[in-house]
Formats: sequence, C-alpha cells, structure tokens
Amino acid sequence: MIRDVPSEWIERAAQASGLEAELSRRGFLKLSVCALSGLALLGLGDAFGANAPLVILDNAKGVILADPTRCVGCQRCELACTEFNDGRAQPSLSRIKIARAVNFGPGGPTGGDAMHGDWGDGLIVQGVCRQCPHPVPCATACPQNAIKDDPQTGARVVDPAACVGCRLCQRACPWDMLSFDEQAGVATKCFLCHGRPKCVEACPAAALRYVPWRDLTRDGGMLRSGLSAPSPENAKACLDCHVPAGKTAVK
Amino acid sequence: MAASRGGFAGKVLRVDLSTGKIGVQDTIERYEAVLGGAGLGYRVLWDEVPAGTGPFDAANKLVFAAGALVGTSVPCNGRTTITTIFPTCWPRPLVGSGHMGGHFAAKLKYAGYDALIVEGKADRPVWLMIRDAKVEIRDAGHLWGSGIRRTTLELSQEMGPDCVVAAIGQAGESQAPMGMVINSVSHSAGGVGGVMGAKNLKAVAVQGSGAVRIAGDKAEWEKLVKFHLSILGANNQHVVPSFPTPQAEYYNPASRWVGQPGRRWGAAKPPVELTGDIHDLSRIVYRTNSAAFFLGEEAWKYTVRGNGCTACPIRCHTMLRVPSVTVKYGIPDMAQNTCIALQFGRMFFKGLMAGKGGEAAIEACMVGMHLADDMGVWSNYGQLQRDLRKLYEGGYLKARLGSKEYASIPWDKYDRNDPAFLLDLVPRIANRQGELGDVLSRGTGAIFDTWSIPESDWADDHSTTYWKMGHPKHHANEDDGQCGVIINTQYNRDAQCHSHTNFVRNGLPLAVQKKLATDIWGSPDALDAPGDYTPANPYKARRAKWSLMRKELHDALGVCNWMGPWVASPRWERGYAGDDSLESKFLSLATGRPMDREELDRAGERIFTLHRALTIRDMGQVDMRAGHDTVPPWVFEDAKGAAPFTKGTIRMDRADIGRAMDFFYEAMGWDTATGAPGKARYAALGLADVGEGLAAAGLVPQDGK
Repeated sequence: MIRDVPSEWIERAAQASGLEAELSRRGFLKLSVCALSGLALLGLGDAFGANAPLVILDNAKGVILADPTRCVGCQRCELACTEFNDGRAQPSLSRIKIARAVNFGPGGPTGGDAMHGDWGDGLIVQGVCRQCPHPVPCATACPQNAIKDDPQTGARVVDPAACVGCRLCQRACPWDMLSFDEQAGVATKCFLCHGRPKCVEACPAAALRYVPWRDLTRDGGMLRSGLSAPSPENAKACLDCHVPAGKTAVK
Repeated sequence: MAASRGGFAGKVLRVDLSTGKIGVQDTIERYEAVLGGAGLGYRVLWDEVPAGTGPFDAANKLVFAAGALVGTSVPCNGRTTITTIFPTCWPRPLVGSGHMGGHFAAKLKYAGYDALIVEGKADRPVWLMIRDAKVEIRDAGHLWGSGIRRTTLELSQEMGPDCVVAAIGQAGESQAPMGMVINSVSHSAGGVGGVMGAKNLKAVAVQGSGAVRIAGDKAEWEKLVKFHLSILGANNQHVVPSFPTPQAEYYNPASRWVGQPGRRWGAAKPPVELTGDIHDLSRIVYRTNSAAFFLGEEAWKYTVRGNGCTACPIRCHTMLRVPSVTVKYGIPDMAQNTCIALQFGRMFFKGLMAGKGGEAAIEACMVGMHLADDMGVWSNYGQLQRDLRKLYEGGYLKARLGSKEYASIPWDKYDRNDPAFLLDLVPRIANRQGELGDVLSRGTGAIFDTWSIPESDWADDHSTTYWKMGHPKHHANEDDGQCGVIINTQYNRDAQCHSHTNFVRNGLPLAVQKKLATDIWGSPDALDAPGDYTPANPYKARRAKWSLMRKELHDALGVCNWMGPWVASPRWERGYAGDDSLESKFLSLATGRPMDREELDRAGERIFTLHRALTIRDMGQVDMRAGHDTVPPWVFEDAKGAAPFTKGTIRMDRADIGRAMDFFYEAMGWDTATGAPGKARYAALGLADVGEGLAAAGLVPQDGK
C-alpha cells in the first residue's frame, strides 16, 4: 500500500518529525517500519507524488506458525490451500509446502542420522511463508513490482495481472516458498487467505497456528541462498538507502 | 465431454515390459462404467487376460489403479488397488486385489494417470520412472537384491526427494506368492510383490506436479469436506471413545478411539500431550493410536506420532521409536504400521500375544516390521504366523522337514519368545531358502500341497481362523454373524471388506445402531450385537450386499474401506447418524456429473459382479454356491458346546447359513441354486458382453435367470 512513495518524502517527513539530524537514508532502515506505516496513513505519499518505487513493504499483520513436532504429514493443508482457493487439488501449487519434506525432510535423501521425514526421524518440517520484513526477497526480485502487500493482512501477495511469469521470485526466496501456477502462467504465494488461512483450519493435528507477525527470517537456517536480482529501477531505489561504499550519505 | 470431467486424471498409462512400449488411453472413454481402482483392474483382466493365465506368466497383467477421489482432500482417500491374477489363491490362482495406502495413488494422479497397467515381462531387472508425461523403463541391475528401504533411498536420490517409490524386496524378486509391494515406508499390498518380481519390475517411482480438478463449486466442495470431517470417528470409524469422558455420551472399551486427554506421544521430541476437546476437528489425529490399541498402554511412550496416507486425518500408521532394538537386534529404532502388519513379528509367538510379553512383544513387533517392510514379506492377514505356530506346535514340521533343516532353525529362541528368532525366519521366507522358507513363501495352500496335509486340518481348527482357498477369515462371524459369514464367502483371498464391521463395531449402543439400521437397511433386525445372534433374515442379507457394494466402490474410488462407509458419526445432535450418500455427493462434485446414491451403488454392484464373473470364468464352473462360497466347519462349532443363537457364542447354524446365502443371492438377483448371476442380471448391470461371454462358455445358470 505504500509502494509508490518516493524516497524524497521520507526525508521530508523525517525533517518534520525532528529526526533529520540523525537520519541518513541508511539509518532510516533502522527505524521501525511502523513509522512508515504511520506516514502512509497520514497520506503523505500522495502529497509527495511518485517517482522511483519504494521497495520497503509494511510488515504483515499475521504469519502462519508451524510446529514440526505435531505435523503428521497428511498434506491436508496443501490440499485445502489449492482446492478451496483454486478449485483443484495440487500440492505443487500449494503455498504451504509439506510434500517435499514428507519422505526425507528438507535435507533430502542423504541417509544418515540427520535425515527427517517418514524415512528419517519422523519430523516433518513444514514450509511456510515468513511474510518477510524488508527487504522482502521475492518482492525485491520482481521486475514488475507484482508482489505487493495485501491491504488487509499485509501478506506479500502476487498480483496475477502484473506478474509476467518470469519466475525470478521463485529463485529469490531463501525458503523456496513461491509456487508457480503452470496453468495460469503466473507465480503464486501465501496470501494468508485474507486473514483466515485455509491451511490452519484444515490441520487435523493443531500443528499450524495463525499468529501476530514476528520476524521468523532469523530463526533457523535458510533452505538455500536466494538469488535476488532486483530490477534496475528497484536497485536505484535501494541505493536511496543503501549508500555505496565511499559515498557520502544523504543528509 | 470427457475432457472437462473433474476428479479423474483422465489417462491410463500402459507399459509393456516385453516390448518397451509405453502408451496412454482415455480413462473416461474406456473405463467410466467401472469408475477406476478395482473396477478398472477387473475390466482389464476380463478384457485382456485369458482364463488359465498363471500369476507369474508374462500374459498376466498388474493394474495399479487409483480412483476419482484420490489426490483430493476427501478424508481417507489415498488408496491404490492392485489387481491381478492373485498368486496365493489356492488350489488355483484367481482374480484378486492387493490394496495399499501411502502416497502412491495421489502421486500417480498428480502425474496425470488414473491407473498404471503393467504388461509383459522385462528381460532384465528394471524400474519404471514416471515423471508427469515422461515415462521411462530404466535399468535396475544395481538395485536387484536390495531391500525396499535402500531401493527407495537410491531411487529418490535419482528422482528427487518428493517422489513416491513402490518397490519390492527380496521376497518379490524371488517370485514368492507371499511377496508384497511397499510404498512410503510401510504401506503394503500383499500377494502382488511376486507378480512384479516375475515381470522383473523392481520398482515404480512416481513424481507428479499436476492437479486433480474439482469440477463443482469450490465453496460447496469445501462445505462437504468439512461435513465429512465432522462425522469422522477414529480408526475403523469407531465413533465413541474407549474411555469415559464428560465430552461424550457413550464410551466403549473396544473402540479404537483411544486418544484420551492426558495420554502423550512420548517419543516425540518434546513429547506431545493430548489435550482439549476430543471432538475438536483440529485434533482428529490424536484420537487414533494403533500401537496403543493393539499393543497396550506402554506403546504410548514409544509413540513418535501418527502417520498414514495422503489426505487422511486418521493416521492409523502409528510411528514408534524403540531405542533398545538397535542394540539388541541391529535394526533401526523407528518403525510404523497399523493392525496386523504392526504385529507381524509378535504374532509368530503365542507367548507374546494377548497382552503377554511386555517389552518383548513390542520389540518383536519392531523386528517384524523391520524385516517384513524391508524384504517385502506379507502376513496374509496373520495366516503366515498362525500357520507357523500350528506347523511347529502341531509337530508337522518335525515330522516333515529334513532333520538337518529342522535342526538349523533356532527353535530354542522361538520357545523363549525371543524376537531374534525372526532374524532367522523371515529371510528364509523372503529368499525362499530351504523347504520351510519356500513353503511359507508360497502361502497356506503350499502347506497342504507340499506336505500332504489335508485342508480340513486347518478348516476344522478355529485357532487357525482359516476360511478357504488358502486364506483366513477377515471380520466374519466373530464380528457380524451371518453378515460376516456371507461376506467371507465371496472373495478369492481374505475378504478385505470393512463396511459391515465398521458399523457393528462402531461402539454405539445396540439400540442406537438398530435405529440407524432401520433408516439405512429398513429394519432394526439388520444387525445383532456381536456374539448374540438371531437367525438369518433378508435385512441382514441386504446389509451384507450393501457392505460388499460399498467395499468395491471404495476400492474403485480410492477411498478407504478400513474407515468407510460413514453411516454413523460421533455427533449426538444428529442422533449419531452419518451420511449414506457421502460417496455420491463427493463424486458428483468432483466430476461435475451428478450421480445419486442409487446409481453409484449400482456401479459398485457392477464392479462386484465383474469380480464374480472373473471368478466363474477362471474356475470354469458355474456352481459357486457349492464350489466357491464355502464356510469352514469351525464356524459351526463351539469349544464349549454352546448352541447357535445363545448369547456368548459366535457359533453359526449350518441350515441358517444356508438360508442366509439364499437371502443374499436373492438380494443380488442371482440364481439361488448356484449363486451365479444369469445373463439378464449381467445385462441389467451394463455387463451384457460379460454375460454373453459366460453363456457361450456354458457358465451361466441353466434357467438363464
């Protein structure tokens, strides 16, 4: 909802709030994103108009929390996700990911004692979208700015009208949580079902909960290193805050 | 238009291992009348496998079939029915199906196939790779000789971690009739492993990324799925808990709903306590613990979690971790299974059954699961274990086995109830090593043939629970009087029907059951309490017919007959009623083609009748009543001499069972003298070609009814 806010007004807003003495664009990243949200509510974005896209998304309001010790690998969550939202049963489309972990766990068929899943120690490590805080890898990587925050839940959602199906978001997610709808030719991801996640309701083991958002991106390891290649336009916006080494921060 | 139909994947995959030819056919066009699963399997055998074909002949076909509801979120789907000329059927092989759960069926659907038909025989060991539209026959030379565990690991390394592998072990490779195929650790189909082995097919590995489309309104679908969840009980659709609780009006100690608040999955890390409302739909998985039900309270502490098939919230495959077995027996400390397969190991030992043996009983279960589910040895519903006990304890082995072989078997361990005995015995069976291993690997019929033991030695002895044709009873008169007897006469292996027992054993008081029975089968007399039987009547026969039709339907749709049908529920506000039309409602919404209960039940009857026709054709005789639908003598006896129809005995009366069969044949529209359908009956069910084929061979009743 605050995507098109130019970086310029951040400074202006900061000046108005008396923070300008301390504020560099780099330093701004340390500010609570709540402040941004507040600014957006004030309608300041509209007042300043738009130029370069702002790649900072407001934090989501909620997130799905998964407890591997309760998961029984039935995949009812995956099926609820795709049947009740898309009218088809298709785990490969699901925005919660169980099938890939059922047999051997996230590490795959390595053998050895560390193997999870049905063939390992039994633990099913669910794949859930963390609804990442800034920088949101999938949104940042999207050259079409097709991944936005949902006004209701703050979930990072793919706008199918804007998505061109380049799959860069899939490569960007460190947890491999983007799905691709081959039928529609667009990416799709967890959109928290507008605040009533079908997967949570479908879990027969109470292994999933929908809870107030917190930053889960630092919990545990990543599944892989995401390949994030922001579009030149986005990269330019990033440089508003992330000042190249040796350059002076904007005051 | 066929192409717009939901539910079905739309294609059937055919692989000829002799020629390497791989092709597809349209499911709806060719097999719609028989739905899928067992129906499709029977149709393929009828159309393509000539009478007299042996199970291990290249001309035999192996049909792995899912169903229209497989891969969806319909609770308790996920079943694969594998139909073939069944090798343990004695004295001659006849049509039969093995059934497996796990994740194979759903994956096959996501890959785009309702069924896989394997034909011919490869000239060297191969495995079949299915990755969506890409299908290849690959060399399995490096896997031959390996167990199912290693085979699965290596094929998963080649295919990717989320593929599903259905593989045979050493038993299947050695063409043991008692060989199994297994997918997803422990989900087995008995009897068909050797058929795979005879085709040189080590495994089928499937990867599927596609969808099963729900043609109907998705909100309606969601509502129906949630309704189904609301009428689920625990394993085998037991709808009352086994423990008294203020949360439920009734309880029944025999119920498999054992998940009492306060129990815990003790081997989870950290343990998971069972809390909250037992009816909470977000806690369905905690109701069932097969290990605790079968092995006793101490199993809770070894429970890691429940496991099971795709989309099933029941999780009857309890996963256990028993650390001691690694040190003692050199086997993995993890195993999982349900019912008989869970008890594969301990059932060999009389001293470890019926709550005896404590920890040793659980260890024997672990050793048994490890060996059976890796080498792929089937129990034939526990007949293998009862056979060994009778052979040993009855002195048959000492008299018949060569003294050298007899002495080589560690009977001292057996006598001590030492699970290590299994480490010697099970590989003998899997590898068909020695006379004992070979005979046991061929099933109960081989015992009679090889050692000239009359079948009556088994059929007269209730302790064997032997029924007929090389197979045991499966929920017969001990559960359901005449209804159970009728059902057990109908198949060529053990009757895999649970429709009847899931109702009579659901835990509700008899008065409530009788009220429900009146609504469903037209009379409260359609059932008795187990062990308190009244004489036969047409309503019991009607319920037997309904049970068989639903069993075949479930096997055709890919839903679990170990759970369904769902005609009772835990919901007092519904008067504990379930829904007799659930299957047709689901199928109608999934496919987009409305089909009411009567029409779908007719499809079930068509499928069951096709099974009957195949049996008649391959036996080459029309008189099923005398030649096939037999009842073992033990059913008509009681150890204490109690008379039939007295409370406390399961003894049946011979003349009364005769009347029960009359009622059943009449309900089926079959000739009561022979128990065979006439031409008109075949035609009425859309099987005119089948009726004509049998008539031409003189295999319909004389009066042509």
